[in-house]
Amino acid sequence: MKVENKIILSNVFNIVLILLVGFFAMQNLNLMLTKLRFVEIADDLNASFLEMRLSEKNYFLYHDESALLDIKEKIDSTVKSIDLAGQDISRAIGQTNLDLLKSHLKEYSEMVDGIRLTSRRDVSIEATFRTRGKNLREFSNAITRLERQGVNNIIARSKNVLFYSFWAVMATAIVVSHFISQRILRSLREIQKLAQSISQGNFNRIERLSSADEFGSVIEAINSMSEELRNREEELIQSKKLASLGILTAGVAHELTNPLNNISMIAQNYQEFYDVLSERNRLELMKKIEGETVRIEEIVKNLLDFSRPKAAKLEKREINATVLKALELMQNTLDISNVGVRKELGQDLPPLYIDDHQIEQVLVNLITNAVHAMDHGGILKIATRLGGDGQTVKVDVLDTGKGIPPEFLTHIFDPFFSTKGVGGTGLGLSVSYGIIKNHGGTIRVESTLGAGTTFTIELPIYDSNKNKRNK
Amino acid sequence: MSANKIMIIDDEKIVGDMAKLSLEQEGYVVETFLSAEPALERLKEEKFDVVVTDLKMKGIDGMEVLRTVKRLYPKTKVIMITAFANLDSAIEALRGDVHDFFPKPVRIKELKVSIQRALNGVQ
Repeated sequence: MKVENKIILSNVFNIVLILLVGFFAMQNLNLMLTKLRFVEIADDLNASFLEMRLSEKNYFLYHDESALLDIKEKIDSTVKSIDLAGQDISRAIGQTNLDLLKSHLKEYSEMVDGIRLTSRRDVSIEATFRTRGKNLREFSNAITRLERQGVNNIIARSKNVLFYSFWAVMATAIVVSHFISQRILRSLREIQKLAQSISQGNFNRIERLSSADEFGSVIEAINSMSEELRNREEELIQSKKLASLGILTAGVAHELTNPLNNISMIAQNYQEFYDVLSERNRLELMKKIEGETVRIEEIVKNLLDFSRPKAAKLEKREINATVLKALELMQNTLDISNVGVRKELGQDLPPLYIDDHQIEQVLVNLITNAVHAMDHGGILKIATRLGGDGQTVKVDVLDTGKGIPPEFLTHIFDPFFSTKGVGGTGLGLSVSYGIIKNHGGTIRVESTLGAGTTFTIELPIYDSNKNKRNK
Repeated sequence: MSANKIMIIDDEKIVGDMAKLSLEQEGYVVETFLSAEPALERLKEEKFDVVVTDLKMKGIDGMEVLRTVKRLYPKTKVIMITAFANLDSAIEALRGDVHDFFPKPVRIKELKVSIQRALNGVQ
């Protein structure tokens, strides 16, 4: 459900609650008004009944004949006013009580009529008459008291209802706003995580279970943004590839021009001085031509390795075995160049998932570079060890050579970048970089001028679950 | 009149060897160097009539050689050769008082003609 809808729903709930409370309070006020009106009428009636009782006393004590007439008149006017306010009274005290009141009044009135006809004034009649008058007055008083009590009750009840409903509205508002703000914060945290992962270059779509609210739309927007970013990145990589193709072409031209020029100049002299040259000289020149073609062949081979990296045939391997094999291949070169080898191979390293021929090629490249950096001999150190988080294995190749100038460090993995002049094609490290990247690993370089260079390869360890799935 | 002295600087050994072989047949005295540093040391000792140098070399490059030669011996002619056969490097080289400019692969006959003209004082 959308957060907006939730807020609307909670508001609707509170409004309904307030309306109900208002309706209830209105009802109570109406009832109270009715009862108060009755109490007002009842006060009038009580006054009339009191006068009747006074006249009653005058009749019996002072034998005042006109007193009966007064009572009769009072009864008539009272009956009239009760009939007039009949509805109000019935609503306040109920029809039963009204009927009862009327019957008490009727009895009293009949008594007056009876006395007027007979003009009797004996003790029994006086007692009955006075009892009926008393009953009438007491009944009326009782009802009035009851209704006053009723009004008090209604006021107390209204007070309670208002008090509790106030807290109910407050509680709902607090609980709902707390719940909604928690919800918003939680979603914001998720979005923050998402944005962070995108900024780290992870452009995968993020799927989310409840996506019907505003945050679902935000995440949807971020997803399409990240998709757009991925497309842009691919375009960027493509254009970078085109740019390196340009560098590649220029590099190939330069690399091939030198041996071609050499062959051309030898051939020109060979023709020009054929007669002058001894047989031995001619053979020497041809040998040089052959040497130059080998150079071209080497460039072409490296170029093919670079442009079409063979698919890695990944197998579960021990890194130390691969390191030893590479060292064996390079042993002659190392001996000739007066370079000593120090091995620090970590024990019990986890197996890796690698193409050992390719990794061997990388190591041979690094060892070759190390030897070239040590013109006057030196020490080559190869170390293998577990990576920091235990998920990788690191291979260090260190030399005690002349080092690489800092301004070259950022370019040494670029194709055709070489610090060796005639000696190198500038493809070795670039090919090595591609191989390590294909293995999901990294290759880094650190160098100090005059002290030496360290290349560090980091390769992920063999993970039976992941690697089987990839296969 | 003693023989004209030619200096050749190129980090490709074969370039020096082949140029020397051909030019010595013409009666020139030729010295070859694989980099600019020892060549410039040699130039301090003795004047050469023509210096043929590669443009792009490790360390001191061809343009630096040109400037040094012109400072030491303003009359010595400099001929530039390069594997980077693009217009920019040619323009830069010619602007810098260079006698001639050869992209690789070098035609030795053309090089000889160019050296002859340099010695005769013809551009």
